[in-house]
Order: sequence, then C-alpha cells, then structure tokens
Amino acid sequence: MEEYYNYLDLLELTPEATPADIRRRYRYLKNLYAGDSIEIRALANDFSDEIRADYLARLDDAFKKLSELPEKSTTGAPLPGPGLDDELRLWLTQVDCFTGATLRNIRERMKVDLKTIFTVTRIQTHFLEAIEGEAFQSFPAEVYLRSYLIEYARFLSLDTQRVLNDYLARYRDWTAQQA
Amino acid sequence: MEDTSRHTEIWAVGGGKGGTGKSFITSSMGTCLALKGKKTLLLDADLGGANLHNFFGLISPKRSLTDFFEKRALLQELIVHTGIANLELITGSTGSLDSESINYAQKQRLFRHIRALDADTILIDLGGGTHINTLDTFLLADKMVVVTVPEITAIENMYQFVKSVYYRKLKSIFKAYELNTVVQDTWKNRTVHNIRNLKDLIGYLKQGSDQIRDIFIREMSGFVVHIILNEVRSPKDILIGENLKRACVNFLGLQVVYSGYASYDEAVHKSINNKEAFMLFNRLSPVVKEIRQLTEHIETETGFSVPEDLLDGRIL
Repeated sequence: MEEYYNYLDLLELTPEATPADIRRRYRYLKNLYAGDSIEIRALANDFSDEIRADYLARLDDAFKKLSELPEKSTTGAPLPGPGLDDELRLWLTQVDCFTGATLRNIRERMKVDLKTIFTVTRIQTHFLEAIEGEAFQSFPAEVYLRSYLIEYARFLSLDTQRVLNDYLARYRDWTAQQA
Repeated sequence: MEDTSRHTEIWAVGGGKGGTGKSFITSSMGTCLALKGKKTLLLDADLGGANLHNFFGLISPKRSLTDFFEKRALLQELIVHTGIANLELITGSTGSLDSESINYAQKQRLFRHIRALDADTILIDLGGGTHINTLDTFLLADKMVVVTVPEITAIENMYQFVKSVYYRKLKSIFKAYELNTVVQDTWKNRTVHNIRNLKDLIGYLKQGSDQIRDIFIREMSGFVVHIILNEVRSPKDILIGENLKRACVNFLGLQVVYSGYASYDEAVHKSINNKEAFMLFNRLSPVVKEIRQLTEHIETETGFSVPEDLLDGRIL
C-alpha cells in the first residue's frame, strides 16, 4: 500500500483520485514532460535528458501499477472507483438487471458525465446516449454494442460480464422482435 | 471599529526579467486592494528605473528612496497620494544611486522602516535581475509573487530568479543555525553526492540529519512562490502557468501556487501611455476581471484552477 501512495504522489494526486483522474493526470504529465514546450526547455540543467528519462520511466511505471490495482481491489484494497462510496456499492449489489435506464442512473449517481466517458473511451456521446436510452437501432451490429458496453462498464467500475449478460439479452430480444 | 493591532502584509513582486509587466501588475493589484477598502501602499523598489508613478499619471515625485538612504527624509515623508482612495505610493530613485551600492546597514534600515509603515498591505515592485538586494527585498515579503510572460527568455529568467531566491534563503537560514558552510560545501561537492539540481540538493540536505530536516520544516515550509502569467494570448498560454507550477514542484522542489493570468490587451498598452490607472478606466477589458481574480487568489492563498478542457489538451 505504501507503494500505491508513492505512485499517487508521483502523479501529484491524493488517495481520493478516481481511475479517470489517474488517467487524465498521467496523460497531462506525460504530454508535458515528454514534449518540447518552452516551460520545460527553460528548465535547462534542472531537467537534463537523464532526469527526463528517469522521470518518464517512473511515471509510466506508476501509471501501469495504478491501472493494475482495480483488479486487486476486489480482494479488499481500498481503491475507490469513480465516486463509489459504500452506499452506492451496496445499492449496486442489489441491481437485478443492468438496463439502459439503470446504467444511466448509476452513472449519474457517480456524477460522471458522458463527455468524460468519451474523453477516456473515445466512444462518441451519441452512442453512449443510445446505450442508456436503449436506442438499439443506433448500433449497426451487436459486435459494436458489445465493445462499447465493455468500455462503458469498465469506466464505471462495474462487473463487465454481468452488464453484458443483462444488456445484450435485452438487445437480442429486440432484434428477435424486429425479425 | 477598533484597529489597534493592524497587521501589515507585505507582497513583493519580482520575476527576474524586465518588461514582463511587474509594475503594471503591481499597480493594478494595488488599485484592486485599495478599491476593496484596504489601506494599500505601493513601494517602487526598482532603484535603477523607478516608474510606478506613471501608472497613476503622477509626475516623478521630488523625493524618493534616495533621500531616505541618504537620511534626508523619513520613509513616511516620501509617501505621495495616487489620487485613488486608500492607495499611496513611495517611489524609487531615478538615477543618482544604483541598487548595487546600497550597503547592508542601509538595507536593514529600509526593511525596519517598511515594516513600521501604516498600511494593511504594502506592495513592493522590484526591478529585474537577481542582484542580492533584489533577492533580499523579495524575501522580506509575506507573499512572494513572480510575474512572467509566455516567452522562453522570461521563463528561463523566472526559474533562475526563484532558484536564486530559494538558495539565498537557504543559506541565510543555515547561517542563523551556525551551519553556514553546509549548503555551500554540499553544492560545491555536488558531483560527489550525485546532486544534479536544486531539488536533489534539498533532498540531500534533508536526509543529512534530523536537525536539518526540522530546520526545513520550521523555516522553509512557508516558502511559497505565487506565479502570475502576464500577456496571455491564447487559451493554451493559460496552461503554461500550470505547467510552470508543476515543473517548479517536480524539478526545483519548490512550493508554487499559480495565482492567475492576465490577457494581452491593447487597452493596457494604451492606458500606460496615457498615464491613467488601468483598473479605473477599462471596465470592459477582460484584464480587469482577471487581475481582480488573481489578486483575490493571492490574498486568500488559493490557486487558480485551470479548466479541465485545457488540462486534457482539448483546447489548443
């Protein structure tokens, strides 16, 4: 756990940081220090190539380690999902079926907006809206919907398999009706 | 209202490079504070080329800091009104005495008298450069402010300036604890200790002993530099202030707050040449609001929060 704090420290984040925060900060710092901006070039000797390489390696390592953590979190490590407080966690265990409306409800409780999901997953917001509104006709084929759902569920730290099972069942019902 | 224990807060504005708008920012922040009802005094400590009076349309005052140094006048006697309520000014010397010829005793005397002036806030406008007198005046402040612009030369000088200030402070504190040689010796032998920069030096010293670590905690934790970015021309420039902050924290090991920015605006240029107080006559300029904001950030020791879109690189 000590290490975990060191990684967060390197990313200049506090333990409350969500996976999305971590990813954003990592991208920002990586862009800043790997790049060639005037504010970095002006550092000259204080940021030699050697220091730069060393820093970037540590940054990559920290991000990698922090990204690996959510899997471990099921075994008790207190890594918070995006706004996953205890009340919400409890409520999530009681969800019977991950419908579009349920997913929207969860997302809103986590105070995550679609734009934020887009910035990380690169899934266009109209597809995200279609998922939540169950506008099934928006998806050209199941395979697209499936991959979007996986990204969406992962972003909200949900059980991907459960979301797929529940949601795709509804999608298949709909396609059967269309036929 | 009883006001028996007025606490005077001193802000020093520096930055290493000339022409970044230190005087403009200082005069505008001062106006801002004065309009809020704070008794504010501007001290033009640019001893080589004082010109703060121009920002209020005043003619060069007859008496300046030179008269104070040469004991022809008390510091209070140099105060002139700017024409704005609650805002007064002491001008630096224009000519005769250059900043480098002030001796230690004169400097001590000036600092003592500055502290005794009757004001809520004293804003000291420093000249450019990293001369010892400039560094010491900067260190005298309760709030240390640097002004820079999004140009590599200005940024280089700013880094150099904050590093010099920090190093100067470090040396004077270690001297007070009779450890004067520790900092210099460590720095001289930096290759032996594998010290590559100021941050490494700080890390090395802290590891040295518990006593030294305590000194850092006690004496250096209040060392916070406030950055103001002037002449911002694009949304991307706004981010430079944030980047500077990160770089100072990460690679210089300093505590830095990004207090805010002021946009580039022709109105500023015009106002300066017309010798009128910018904050009073340009209510439509975005710079007025920006300066109000950054002044408030410095007052409350809070940082400007950069919009998330910028941090994510979505606005370029």
